[in-house]
Amino acid sequence: MVRKTNAAIEAFKSQRLRWVAGRSQTKVEIDEKRYQQAVDSIMQEEIERHMITGAIKERGPLTVEEISQLINLRPSRIVQHLIALRKNGIVGEAGEKNRQYLYQLV
Amino acid sequence: MGEKTERGEKAEEGFEPLIVAFCCNWCSYAGADLAGTSRFEYPPNIRVIRVMCTGRIDPTFVLEALRMGADGVLVAGCHPGDCHYQKGNFIMEKRFGYIKKAVDSIGMEPERVRLEWVSASEGGKFAALVREMTQQIKQLGPSPFRLPQSSA
Repeated sequence: MVRKTNAAIEAFKSQRLRWVAGRSQTKVEIDEKRYQQAVDSIMQEEIERHMITGAIKERGPLTVEEISQLINLRPSRIVQHLIALRKNGIVGEAGEKNRQYLYQLV
Repeated sequence: MGEKTERGEKAEEGFEPLIVAFCCNWCSYAGADLAGTSRFEYPPNIRVIRVMCTGRIDPTFVLEALRMGADGVLVAGCHPGDCHYQKGNFIMEKRFGYIKKAVDSIGMEPERVRLEWVSASEGGKFAALVREMTQQIKQLGPSPFRLPQSSA
């Protein structure tokens, strides 16, 4: 729970979530229901991504399986997040362990 | 030991909750002040933090308070339309939905956080609100961050 709370705090500090959650007015018409769904999914994604980076920061380079065991999230979901984090230059590969890539913070 | 809450935690007997209240300077803080000067009795479980406007309250303030062991967080501001800065309380109202969802997603009861409107003349309302919230948090039991297993 501590890890998840820390991740939630970091998520609310992230530019991506602040940008969508802090919207107060817009000049284009937006379907409010769909917008709320988008904000909710962004919030969930940001919390999960910060849980991943938090786990790597805490334990050093980790494989997808190890992250999955640590934060109790499906490996397929972790891979999706790692792709995004890698694209944003937040994580990168750090060799292999048991024929699996290790990921570390860049 | 007391009754079981929805999430399985036990409300402990003799448990005194710690509630952090963020009160806006212009309405709710003055309301809290009035409750004191009018000698309305309310439980001493509340710790008031004065902010200039509820729109100033970042979601991280609420989450940090919970992480640091607060059993509940109250955000009190001016009634809609009465904000000293025009729309600070509307901003908070919108933001509060996200805070509740985040609290729920970290595994805490969303009832631990509350947003209320208290004007400067509503000292009685403030006292009643604190009494009611203290009772509600007592029913929920201590924050999971106070329990030893939460550090895992």
